[in-house]
Amino acid sequence: MRDAIAVRGLHKSYGEMGVLGRIDLKVAPGEIVALFGPNGCGKTTLMDILAGLVKQEKGSVAVEGRDAFACSYLTQNYRDSLLPWLRVRGNLGFPLRLRGHTKGQVADAVQAIADLSPVRLNLDAYPYQLSGGQQQILAFLRALITKPSILLLDEPFSALDYENTLAMRTLLQRYWQEHRPAVLAITHDIEEAVHVASRILILSRKPSRIVRVVRNPSPYPRPPSFLASAGFKKAKDNALSAFLAGVSL
Amino acid sequence: MKANIAFGVLALLVAWGLAASAGLVDSFFLPGSLETFQELGDLLAGGEIGDDIALTLGRIAAAFSIAAAIGLPAGLALGMQPSLFERLEFLVDFFRSIPATALFPLFLLVFGISDSSKIAVAAFSSALIILFNTAYGVRHAKKARLQAARLMGANRRQLTSIIFWESLPQTLVGMRTAVSLSIIVIVVTEMFIGTSAGIGRLIVDFQYVYNVPGMYAAIFLAGVIGYLANLAFALLEKRVVHWAGR
Repeated sequence: MRDAIAVRGLHKSYGEMGVLGRIDLKVAPGEIVALFGPNGCGKTTLMDILAGLVKQEKGSVAVEGRDAFACSYLTQNYRDSLLPWLRVRGNLGFPLRLRGHTKGQVADAVQAIADLSPVRLNLDAYPYQLSGGQQQILAFLRALITKPSILLLDEPFSALDYENTLAMRTLLQRYWQEHRPAVLAITHDIEEAVHVASRILILSRKPSRIVRVVRNPSPYPRPPSFLASAGFKKAKDNALSAFLAGVSL
Repeated sequence: MKANIAFGVLALLVAWGLAASAGLVDSFFLPGSLETFQELGDLLAGGEIGDDIALTLGRIAAAFSIAAAIGLPAGLALGMQPSLFERLEFLVDFFRSIPATALFPLFLLVFGISDSSKIAVAAFSSALIILFNTAYGVRHAKKARLQAARLMGANRRQLTSIIFWESLPQTLVGMRTAVSLSIIVIVVTEMFIGTSAGIGRLIVDFQYVYNVPGMYAAIFLAGVIGYLANLAFALLEKRVVHWAGR
């Protein structure tokens, strides 16, 4: 089976400053992988390259179905990616409208995706009437509405409180179990990485490379109670040790 | 808001009344507010100035419509092509900076002493304002929004629609400024290029015959038209681009 994402020998620098040293990375179809690394190590640059927004200097990048828009990218800048002149309903259905779906199809899909959300969003509100956390949830749900085969998530739950973070991690897993997209998620939260990912890639400081790979084979779904389990603690300790060794703290 | 408007009107009337009654200004040059509004009431009730108002409004509407029809698409097109915008920015800025009154002789030569010259000069100056503001709005469209739409598969037409919405707050600012400029230029051309009727013509005619209350009444009418046009655009902005900057 072809990899959903395949990156080989990727280099990127801005001016004289090397950001990505040499990245080799593969994500299999239906796999959830977390990227974990220090600030400024180029995680977002890597995502931008995968999404096709930024060109790499060296190396090859293959993202299955990207040209056919089968890949959804939730950027860190979720707030600016929403269309402020459209209501929540319009924002959720926007990717489908772009693809020429009928009004009825869009309305059904919007209702279905809104029903999935653990946080009730007022579909008739405008984005500026939502809290920052609700806006992030809106952007996340919009990324799911096209049922992408690849999900690129850049700190997808960074604006949420702990309760909603747990609820959204549960939603991500539920959605993943139903549709099996390949997920590559950047996170600054090691707990989040261990909670949702089956593989955690630890990045070094820049020019960054993947210095450690932590496997996390605990079965899905992983409910919030998983966070209190011995399996979680062990995986988190492994990830933490790998991170400390990888960034030489 | 209503209370603020009432306060402003009341303050103007009190200041006007005090200046007139205290003899601070010669009553010939500043008749009392009562006298002025009585004159305005008589002019309106007598139906003498109906044609003047209609003609001025018609010229403003024509000039503004032409300006919007040229300025909007040209501004969108220019804003979407950064290199062209940079090449033409100086020219647009330069022509925008030329006082419209300085262009009267040129437009008179081209269009003759007719409504066309008045409308053309107002349309020209207003179109540049709309063009510049629209192009500016397009240039400052949020890149993240366009990137997101591109990643979702937006085609050229859909991207243009997003850019249009993105530029709309600045476009409406330009249109509001342009409608005010259209009113100013039309009234001034009616005063100085010459016409058989119009509010500008009324102001000059009343001045010639020393009907100072009538002159003030006509000036007041021009002010009311300007204020209402501005108010209409402010309401439009509040309704259509309520999301701007949020």
